[in-house]
Amino acid sequence: MSDERVIRIEPVTRLEGHGALTIRLGKDGKVKDVQFNVTSTRFFEKFLEGRFAEEVPRIAERICGICPVPHHLASVKAVEAAWGVTPPDAAVKVRRLLINAKQLSSHGLHFFALAAPDFLAGPFADPAKRNVVQIIKSLPDVGKLALQMMEYGQSLVGAIGGKAVHPVTAVPGGLSQPFSEDSRDRFLEQVEGLKQWVIQTLDLGKRVIEDYWDAVTKLAVVPTYYVGTHDKGALEIYDGKIRVMSPEGKIVADFRPKEYRKYVGEYVPDHSYATHVYYGPAGYPDGVWRANTLARCNIADRMKTPLAQEALEEMRSRLGRPIHATFAYHWARVIEMVQAVEEIEHLLNDPDIVSTDIKLSDVEPRKGNGIGCVEAPRGTLIHHYWTDDRGIVTKVNLIVATNNNIAGIEKSLLKVARQIFEERTHESLKLPEPMIE
Amino acid sequence: MTTAAQKSSAATKRRGRASAGGFEPRIVAFCCNWCSYAGADLAGTSRMQMPPNVRIIRVNCTGRIDPAFILEALYMGADGVLISGCHPGDCHYTSGNLRMRSRYVLLRGLLEQAGIDPRRVHLQWASAAEGDVFAEGVRMMVERIRALGPSPMRGRR
Amino acid sequence: MAKRVAFAQLSSCWGCDQALVDLHFRLLDVLPDLEVVYWPAVVDYKLSDLKSLPDGSVHLGFVEGSCRTKEDVHILELMREKSRLLVAWGSCSCYGGVQGLANTWPLAQLVQRKFIKTETVTDSRVPEENVPGFVEYIIPNTDRVRFDIILPGCPPTSDNVYDAVVALLTGRPFDLPDTTVCDECPRERKEKRIKEFKRTYQGRPDPEKCLLDQGYLCLGFATIGFCGAQCPKANMPCKGCFGPPPSIRDHGAKIISALGAIADMSPEELENAFPDPVGSFYFTDYAASYIAKVSAGNSGDKGDGEDRR
Repeated sequence: MSDERVIRIEPVTRLEGHGALTIRLGKDGKVKDVQFNVTSTRFFEKFLEGRFAEEVPRIAERICGICPVPHHLASVKAVEAAWGVTPPDAAVKVRRLLINAKQLSSHGLHFFALAAPDFLAGPFADPAKRNVVQIIKSLPDVGKLALQMMEYGQSLVGAIGGKAVHPVTAVPGGLSQPFSEDSRDRFLEQVEGLKQWVIQTLDLGKRVIEDYWDAVTKLAVVPTYYVGTHDKGALEIYDGKIRVMSPEGKIVADFRPKEYRKYVGEYVPDHSYATHVYYGPAGYPDGVWRANTLARCNIADRMKTPLAQEALEEMRSRLGRPIHATFAYHWARVIEMVQAVEEIEHLLNDPDIVSTDIKLSDVEPRKGNGIGCVEAPRGTLIHHYWTDDRGIVTKVNLIVATNNNIAGIEKSLLKVARQIFEERTHESLKLPEPMIE
Repeated sequence: MTTAAQKSSAATKRRGRASAGGFEPRIVAFCCNWCSYAGADLAGTSRMQMPPNVRIIRVNCTGRIDPAFILEALYMGADGVLISGCHPGDCHYTSGNLRMRSRYVLLRGLLEQAGIDPRRVHLQWASAAEGDVFAEGVRMMVERIRALGPSPMRGRR
Repeated sequence: MAKRVAFAQLSSCWGCDQALVDLHFRLLDVLPDLEVVYWPAVVDYKLSDLKSLPDGSVHLGFVEGSCRTKEDVHILELMREKSRLLVAWGSCSCYGGVQGLANTWPLAQLVQRKFIKTETVTDSRVPEENVPGFVEYIIPNTDRVRFDIILPGCPPTSDNVYDAVVALLTGRPFDLPDTTVCDECPRERKEKRIKEFKRTYQGRPDPEKCLLDQGYLCLGFATIGFCGAQCPKANMPCKGCFGPPPSIRDHGAKIISALGAIADMSPEELENAFPDPVGSFYFTDYAASYIAKVSAGNSGDKGDGEDRR
């Protein structure tokens, strides 16, 4: 009989953020406990206090350099809600283009740089081979695909937001600058190519899922609640209602973001600086939910755009609804990339996209509070600000997208740890030959 | 990890020691050449009594005082900074003292927000003929700083 | 021969990584010359792998982020030991970053707000198990260990990163320009006399004219000319996220100095216009300022218990 054992993985890699993993094994070899330790936080909730509210969209986005756009937009929407401001329609369209551009590049980065190495190099590969640098070297076609899509998305973010990382143009009442006709023409010119790339990416995603079908359907299949935004049932990322789906697939809540406090709870674990956000009415841990790509594809009845809808139908025909297979997040991710590309095409073809009526000039601050909500690549993101009559922030509450997933990630990890250490499931899985040798 | 309570009691002790040992404020004074430095000179030649806690730095005009000088003086361990210039309207360069006044207003806001008592930096007007005003300003500055206690920087650099 | 490189992320947003990835096809120019020995965002080497490398064996070490936790301090010191040339990558690493704004509150209050007194927290505790613990204040990395190269920006642009990496790989010197954002800004400037400061939600700024001339607090004049004036070109004022040029020692002091010269306003009006000097004048570099250093480490003049606002 061996002693108790603690396995510490530090840091968890190919992760945007700071995390470690602690697995405790008992004397009997059983998994006693799995902790996902988020090891850093910077206290934005406090230091946003005292700032000019209209400056906060440029400060709060520093929460995340990979997904600053959703923070920038949730933040400006919160200020607008607090001050009772409705930006012009054209500004909203440009903001939608911005968030879809980010969705494309962020999902591309995640799919190719963070996730794909496990599948293309294989889970048992040498770390020196199991990374995106090696993919670019060994599979130049895949590398090129990745770089083209990310470049398109990031350049579009830069063209609208002024900076590709930490954009600056969203202000209460609209945007500081219109989207220029030159930019529109430049991005429209490449949009046909972009559609081909994203279909190739979808095919690659499906092939990988097919190759790893055994793992996808057996490892880390974890029922949880799901949360995400929709607009009349269609998957939506800029503005809509929030839906919660139970593990059985029932819609248990469908509410406007401003009512979030009735439905959203935050549990503070002893072992993580990121809180565990969960479905409040079900309590913790019963109400653990997940957000992000698969959650959105679960709660939505349909996609907004035709090619994405086809792709969703195919996934559902294979895996049903709701899907609890954690690896299906990757499939859902490429489906969302397809929607992002179709949305980009649609918006670029809208004549309003180059309208110069993009900023109100009569915005007045007022005392109040406002809630801004968007879907970040990693889930439902809520900014809630209180301002005084001069428009200075007095209090802040943030539901950061990633925190919706921490408890779910921990639950998946516990499941996988049991499968590996107790059931040795990984030894009997059918895995394909790696594409990178 | 030091708790807040421990830290604040350490700060109290440090201040306690300093005052028990007779805390003597170290004050840097920036004086403009045309009014206040001449006023300080007059106070000296007139044998007016002034506490010896002030080191005077002569500048051509208070408008020449970069706020970085003041902040750096505090950083170097000065307990207080006194700025003395010409009365509004009397500046040798027309408006240097008014620029200083604008900077002083912003600096005070900064000090306060940073948690440093803004009274550690003081702006006064004293003309070349006002040796008594200058001397009184110095006395008041020393009293003010004596009441506030040593700079938070003392003993740290 | 490829150079051994390590990238370490302390508390940060990872935007510097994104800016590096945003080189896209230009990555192909530099990747063959790099042998990545540590880069948690991309490669699966663990902290123990970094620890096991011989001291000084990494040609180029890049440190992103600042020290908010004790683990950050540990990784920073480790990176210094292992690296021949250590690069402070981004404004967090150079100056403490946006999280330096938290330095006007004692740690106890930050923790309270985050974990205890929070709108949606249903139970509350301060996490302590298998987490590293916080440091009291953000102190710039450059005050903790010696750096060889300073590469500011929030984040540094992809071009900045490319130029720095190419220079370092080929052994060319890499110096920061002693110019300002105004030198890179195409807007038309005039003699400034400002009677009233405008906030960014007010009005529609003329895209051809200097934003500061129009009354918007654009900090280009005090900020290093290294970013290509991205924000003024997008019709938004510079917030100073790249920090000052090398010859300016205190960003906020320089800004206050300039405002004193150009504001045609009464002291009351001026005080009223800037209720948040720390946030307005030290966006990403408050921790590196003189005043933060005077204040930090002993809670300034007010003691730890009180809120400083």
